[in-house]
This record gives sequence, structure tokens and C-alpha cells, in this order.
Amino acid sequence: MKWKIFSRKKRKEQWRLIFKPQADIADVMALPGAVVEGQIAGRYLLSSMASGGTLVIQGLSKKGILAGADVAVDFQAASEHDVDVAFQPRSGRASLRPAETINFEEMMLQEDDAFVSVATEPEDLACILYTSGTTGRPKGVQLTHKNFVSEGKSTEHVLDCTPKDKVIGVLPFFHVFGLSNVLHLGLIHGGTVILVPQYSPANLLKTIMDHHPTLMVAIPTMYVHLLTLLERKKVQLPRSIRICVSGAAPLPKEMIQTFEDCSGAQLLEGYGLTETVAACCANPPDGICKAGSIGLPLPGFEMDILDPDGKGLPSGKQGEIAVRGDGVTPGYFRLPEDTKEAFREGWFLTGDIGYRDDDGYFYVTDRKKEIIIKGGFNISPREVEEVLSSHPAIKEAAVIGRKKGEREEIVAFVTAKGELTAKEVMDHCKEALSSFKVPDEICFRKVLPMSVTGKVLKKELAEDYQDERRIERK
Amino acid sequence: MRKTIRMSGELNENNRGLVQSIERWASSSPDSVALQFEGEPITYGELNLRANRVANGLQGVGVAKGDRVAIMLPNIPEFVYTLVGTLKLGAVAVPFNTLYKGGEILHILKDSGAKVLVALTNFAPMINEVRPELPDLEQVILTGERNLVFGHPQSTAFIQLILPGDLVDDIDGAYNKIGHVLLEIVRDLGVKEAWYKHRGSIRVRGDKIATFVISEVEGIALVNALTFLAPLDTRDFLRIVWVPPEVRDKVVEPLTSVEQETGKRPPWDQVKETAIGAFEKAFEVELKESPMVRDELFGYEKLRSLAYKTR
Repeated sequence: MKWKIFSRKKRKEQWRLIFKPQADIADVMALPGAVVEGQIAGRYLLSSMASGGTLVIQGLSKKGILAGADVAVDFQAASEHDVDVAFQPRSGRASLRPAETINFEEMMLQEDDAFVSVATEPEDLACILYTSGTTGRPKGVQLTHKNFVSEGKSTEHVLDCTPKDKVIGVLPFFHVFGLSNVLHLGLIHGGTVILVPQYSPANLLKTIMDHHPTLMVAIPTMYVHLLTLLERKKVQLPRSIRICVSGAAPLPKEMIQTFEDCSGAQLLEGYGLTETVAACCANPPDGICKAGSIGLPLPGFEMDILDPDGKGLPSGKQGEIAVRGDGVTPGYFRLPEDTKEAFREGWFLTGDIGYRDDDGYFYVTDRKKEIIIKGGFNISPREVEEVLSSHPAIKEAAVIGRKKGEREEIVAFVTAKGELTAKEVMDHCKEALSSFKVPDEICFRKVLPMSVTGKVLKKELAEDYQDERRIERK
Repeated sequence: MRKTIRMSGELNENNRGLVQSIERWASSSPDSVALQFEGEPITYGELNLRANRVANGLQGVGVAKGDRVAIMLPNIPEFVYTLVGTLKLGAVAVPFNTLYKGGEILHILKDSGAKVLVALTNFAPMINEVRPELPDLEQVILTGERNLVFGHPQSTAFIQLILPGDLVDDIDGAYNKIGHVLLEIVRDLGVKEAWYKHRGSIRVRGDKIATFVISEVEGIALVNALTFLAPLDTRDFLRIVWVPPEVRDKVVEPLTSVEQETGKRPPWDQVKETAIGAFEKAFEVELKESPMVRDELFGYEKLRSLAYKTR
């Protein structure tokens, strides 16, 4: 560390202090900003202010948000909650930037327009996507160019995207569902992708009203939010949307019907994984849609139900859902053991438990890792969750197993719509479930931790959950 | 007998990936709209050209075929330019969740061995903090204007330092020095267990109690530090900048404050004296309170009116 000042001067230099304990949020930016501008100008004017440092100490007299120019702010809510809102000016070239970083916009200005794309092989990696990890640490799923091309061809049969289509880009592109079934889909077929950088129900509705999209791919909570908002605002959706796809979690049957009635669009439920570049199974747009089913395998994918020994099971029998095809990942990044475990004779084991009906439609019943073993019985958390959700005062429910000595207990986490006691919840469960499936404990929560695609993050409900956002000293 | 029924339809022979498709559309219908962003259409021609610029930029900082480029961006055009530019180079894109925080970001960047990270400007402090543990990460490219600072009369103290460029030689050293000054302030306020490792955050256990970032403009360094004096209730703020309730606790990092650690919120006079003492000692200078000069006041009024301009 070399502060030149140490060697340059013997006498103590004087620095300036500006102290403002009753400032407002704009001062947080404007005060030091003005001093910086003064110093830059001082160089040319040879002003005396250009020499020493200035220390600014500020506190606020009221609550405030200092926001970058691209942040969407609800001004009505700000005034209701008495929060002052100030914006940072949009930075131009040569503006303030964090030290030792490159400014994207400056880089774009300097670079050449022409580039000859480097040739790649189908087996070369295109992306590594980290699984959101509802259990365990995120693993890097390797996806090749071939995987993406294959997925693009598979989804054509459901979505039939053309250059005339406008696709709503509300699902985050950092997630496989948005990256593959929205961004890739739209751009490969020459369509338009409408970007929604910050999801809120109001943003989504406004985007639909402004742009009249033709395709919408979203998660159940978004459809539910949208319906609630339409009802509240008493507005109608434009009849521009042809097909909607919902994935990542099941959408209640009534909800599908309500949404189809109010949009005039067909709403299809599908199923996919990061390991299959998103959708590998969906209800057919031109065939029978079965409620509660994830549908039929998309062209290019094969699916089967396997027993613990890897043998195929007949329809109606429950086992692990397995997938194979060109859209399936070659494995996890730098994790040969995990990769080996995830495959069996070319089949990728999804970790989802389910069955197939006589018509070949697939159904998911549980996550394998989440099955609770209590007193020798296998208990399906989903079955218990469904019973809990059927109680009129329960909004959301998540059930996990908790080790207690040698035993495993059933713990239910619920969010309530109104007044509700643990006893009422227990009584409700006892009516609908065998005694060994009734939760041992009911925990009330204000909200349940969820991933960006609306899946409950069960690992965060476990007692030994370590908050991975923290940075530890060692 | 087990039946295997498949969805009707044969796979066609279109073997184009994203890059080839975009290049084809850019050449056959350059004026077709590829992206629509905040009322502004971006055509296939423009998308291809901007992706080319990113590819050139990445190549310029040493990215080659097979290297990993991490992308921590929301659905903005820069995400698409970076993704396509990365693929044009034959490099591997590693997009990840913009809600991730310290430990999670560290895991993904370390595991993937990313050489470059493209992120929003507001993630700079978080990235800074984990950067010394990421030997593979050579460049951080920042975009967008999504900074978000919550200020509260009871909870937050802003400490800012403006230094002419000739006083700062190297940024690593500056981060080290300022970090230790802030650590001393926090400890002098009674939080003895506070620690500082490198770049950006003063912590107690794994929780953040103070944070800072050093920015540069035309050779002048600006240190922006935020110290939490009392618990910060973020609920009101998160009603204004809409965040789904179930991910609210992920938007803000785990925080603590002087009051949570010592049982008492320090009064302003104590904060002021402690900060002055720490800076005077560390820089061997004398701090004297004096107001802004005329030129500065002019700039100050201009910046305030810009900040409060209704949009």
C-alpha cells in the first residue's frame, strides 16, 4: 500500500469534513457528486479545492431510496409509505464506475461490428447452468450445442413459433425454462421476444396490453397473479395469445379453465429439467390434455418409468421417471461421480417419482429425495401437501421429513389465509389421511422460501439449513 | 405389454443453433424485430452487430473457445448480446440467478472457473468481496443502472470520501486501507467481533454491518460506505420496488447493526467523532469542518434537481 502522501509531506495536511446528519436521500448522491465535479473542474481552474481529501458523513431525516436510472419504482406506494425516491443520473462515457471493472457500454463503443463466428462441434459445451438446488448445493449442468438444437426441434411441435410470433420474455433467462423455451425459441424462429426485466404482476399485464403477444411461457404463480389482477382491475386480456405454456409446478385445473376462458388461449402444462434443456414432456396442443398429467414425451425424447433396478415398469406402476434423447445433458461439470449416479444405461434418472397411464401420459407424484420414511412406511410429502392445501384457510403448504434420532418425523409448513390453529390443521389431516401420514408438527410461516420458478426451497426449511448467502470468515 | 406412445410429428432437419439462426435472420430480414425492450425495438441486424461487438470485446480480454463467461443479468438486451457474443466465440455461457448473494456467487464462479463475469453495476460490491478468492476470474464487465440504496433515519450512516487521484496508487491497497478504517469505526462503536477480510464488507459472523465500494472517474476516487447503526426494516422499501413476497428475504443480504450487536444505537455525535478519529489516524491528516464552495454548490443543486426529476 502506497499512499503517496506519507512520503510527500511531513506536516499534517488538512482535509475537509462535511457533516450532515439531517440530509435527504438525494444528498447521498448529490453531495459527494458535487465535490467530485468540483475537483475535476478545479484541475482546469487550478482551484485550491483540488488538493486534499473530503470526508462526508451523512444521516437521513426521512426514509429514502436512491435508485439507478433503470430501477422501476412504484411512486404511489412510495408516497403511501412516506419514502423519498431519488434517482442517480444515467452515467455516460467516462462516468463513475467501480474500480478495476470494464464498462459494458464503453466496450461496445470501442469494438468492431464484424466478427467471424468460431466453428463449434455439436458436442461442444454451449452453457453450464447451475440447478436451483431445492435440495443440496447447486450443480453445474453441462448443455451442448446439440442439446439446444435438439430441444429447439422438439418444442416446435408444441409451440410452432414463426417470425410473426411475439413471445413474452418474463421468465428469467438465467433459468433453463426462460433461456430455452422463451429466448432460444423466439430467436431461432425469427420471432420477437418482449423483454420483461423485472417481474411484477402489473409489469406483466402492462406488457401484454402494450405488445399483444402471441405466445406466453410462464410459471403457475404468474398465471395466478395475472388472474387476480385482471379481476381486480376489471380489464380484459387482448385476444392475441394463441398458446400459453405453464411449467415448473402444477397449476390447478380450475385455474387452467379460468385462464383459457379469459384469454381465449390454449394453456398447456409441461414438464422439464435443466438436464433436458427445459421441456421434454407436454400435453399436446392438438390432442387430449389430461388434467394433472405432464403429458406425452416431446419428439426427440423418450421417457420411461424405472424400478430401483433400472427395469421398465408397466403402466399404472409407480417408479422413477427416466429420460433419454439428444436433448439430455452429457452430465455435471467436474462431477464424474454425480454424473455416473444420474445415468443408467443411457437413461437419465430425473429423481422424480411418477407413473404412466394406459394412453402413455405421464404423471409426477413426488421428488425421490423428499420421500419420508416413517416407521417403515414411505410417505409422499405431496399427498400430505395436497390434503393441507385443500383446507380453506391454508394458502400454501410444504412437507418435509426431519430426523429425530433414528426416526423420521413429518413436519408441515403452512401459510394461512386467516385465523388458524395447529389443532384445526391436525384435525383436518386426521380426517383425510391414515394416522401414520398425519404431520407430527405444524409450523406457521408468513411466506415459504421459493425459487424463481415458484418451487418451494425445502432445503431452507430444514433445521440444519446453512444460509449460503453469507460470507464466512474462514 | 408396455406401450410407448409419442406425440405426433417428425423432427425436421433444421440443425441451426442460436448463433447460426440469428446470423441467418440478420442477413435475410435484418429489419425484423428480435427484441422489444421498454418501448424500443431491437432488430435482428442490430442484435447480430451488438453480439459481434461483445464477441470482439471478450476476445480482446483473452476469452477463447471453451472458456467460461458468467452472466449475472436480468432480462435486458445486454443479457442477449453477451450470450450470443459468448457463443460466437465458441466460449461457454454460465448464466446464473441475479438474486444470488455472496456465498452462492462464490460457489458458482469458483466451480465454473469463469474467466469473465458480466453483471449489473449494483453487484459490484458483492463481486468485489469474493474476487480475491477467484483466481480464474480475470475481468468483471458491468452494465445497467440498477443500483438500489435504502436509507433510514434510524438505521443508516453514509460515510463518503473523495480523494484526488494522486493520493491513490493502487486499488487493492485502497480497499485494504478503507476497509480497516471502517472496521476500526465499527469496533470503536462497540462491535468488537467485527472483522474485515478483503474488499467491500465489514462483517459480524457472516452478516454484513458496513459495506463500501470505491469508484473512479477521471482519476478521482470516490468511496461510498454505508454503515448500519440500527436494524434496517426493508419492508416499506420492498413495497415500492416490487419483489415477490417469497423471494423478499433473498433480495437483501443478511444484515446486522451496531444496535443489534451492542444493544444501543450510537448517537450522531459519537458516530461523527469516531469516524473523524479513525480517518485522521489512518491518513495522518487533520479534518476540519467547512462548507462547500460556490462552484460545488452549483453542481450540488444541479445533481439534486436531476435526482428528483419525475419521470
